[in-house]
Amino acid sequence: MNKISFTIALDLLKNKAILIFGFILAFLGWGMFLLESQPEKTILALLQVTLIILPLVTGIFATVYYYNSREFIHLLLIQPIRRSSVIRGIFIGLAGGFVFSFLVGIGLPLLLFYPTLASLYLIIAGLLLCIIFTGIALWVSTHQQDKARSMGIILLFWVFFTFVYEGIQLLIMYQLAEYPIEQPMLWSVFFNPVSIARILVVMQTEAAALLGLSGAIFQDFFGSLKGSLIAIGVMVVWAVVPYFLSRFKFIKRDF
Amino acid sequence: MSLISIKNVSKKFGKQTVLDNISLDFKDGNSIALIGPNGSGKTTLIKAILGLVLPDSGQILVKNQTISESPQYREIIGYMPQLSLFPQNMKVQELFALIENIRKEKPKNGYDVSLYQDFEIAKMRYKALGTLSGGMKQQVSAALAFYFSPEIIILDEPTAGLDPLSNEILKRKINTAQQDERLVLTTSHILSDLDEICSHVIYLMEGKVLFNKSIDEMRSQTKENRLNKMVAQLLNSKQHEQN
Repeated sequence: MNKISFTIALDLLKNKAILIFGFILAFLGWGMFLLESQPEKTILALLQVTLIILPLVTGIFATVYYYNSREFIHLLLIQPIRRSSVIRGIFIGLAGGFVFSFLVGIGLPLLLFYPTLASLYLIIAGLLLCIIFTGIALWVSTHQQDKARSMGIILLFWVFFTFVYEGIQLLIMYQLAEYPIEQPMLWSVFFNPVSIARILVVMQTEAAALLGLSGAIFQDFFGSLKGSLIAIGVMVVWAVVPYFLSRFKFIKRDF
Repeated sequence: MSLISIKNVSKKFGKQTVLDNISLDFKDGNSIALIGPNGSGKTTLIKAILGLVLPDSGQILVKNQTISESPQYREIIGYMPQLSLFPQNMKVQELFALIENIRKEKPKNGYDVSLYQDFEIAKMRYKALGTLSGGMKQQVSAALAFYFSPEIIILDEPTAGLDPLSNEILKRKINTAQQDERLVLTTSHILSDLDEICSHVIYLMEGKVLFNKSIDEMRSQTKENRLNKMVAQLLNSKQHEQN
């Protein structure tokens, strides 16, 4: 990472919004472990927080952030630095801030109160989701002039990935139950980072019912260890691709 | 020596042609006034030089280097934008520190603090940029543009928000910069402000160069002394030619 990106990233981290985000996560993470005596239940509750709230908040925060720092971006672009360094700095600053908040707020209590493999996978899934949704937010923001529209698109992405996608999957499964649809179903999981994150964590817990149909196929097909590695690999791809799409647009567009 | 040369640059925003096959050459020691009606492409041309707007076709060279090759050429450019674009929460002091940090190398002759001192920027050091008045932001913006002793200074509507005293200070600074064999590029609608500071006038209209003349040339052609009268007369004669 070059020095300029780092300077930009540090500057972004001074913002209070990321602090507030960290406090909310810490309140949930630490609070749940302190209130609930059975850590097996707490991890499932935190799984829901990670899968549903985390993508929403990172997506929205990153979008707001991008538009609010438009002046800052402008100021940087007229300096003798590359556009790619600027967008890299923004991405690292935002994703880094979210990942740090998540690790302190939810990762730390998980490791302290419930140090299991499931916790470890939940932490990996959470920090990858932070990076993924920062990337998606930047991808949308660099393509849109209008802030409100970007927010709308991010909300659509979030609703689609967290609720609609698996509904559609289920519908197709019921309709086409007589056909050999395991293979396409398996592939369809890869196109939803939230599903992958859920399967990754639930495979390690006793709560197999939460796996869902697609998750069950996934586990059946790959087995636990191989399945986990593949899931993490796919999430890493998800973390990188939207960022590179936004980078490509950022370099090509007018300001 | 030619510092900036623009070769057949065109730019469209959607269907609207903003720059239409423009070719220009800017030399050191010149102070160029870029004028023209609203929407004639002045700011777009400046943004193209700065690399903020990427032309559809054509080339821009700064010191014989194509600007798309490396961002390094911006090291010798100081830019004062039309509206001061500063992060709201950043303090004035932090702004200067950040840009110093990003630019890494100190300018050869050290930082140029004359505007910094004349505008008394030190007094607003600890204020957030969002809380400054429009004129104060312009002062910060001007001080920052000259701070790195750039060889090329680009000022987009510099006098719009400045009080008369600051205006005079800035004009004097532009004149000294020109005497130091630097290149100054200024856009403005207020022709009387440009009167004392420019050596050349370029008139843009609908993305084309209508005329590009030195002040002396215009003076001998029109027999007028005031810039606004000279420009008006030249525009009139252009219209006659077209009719």
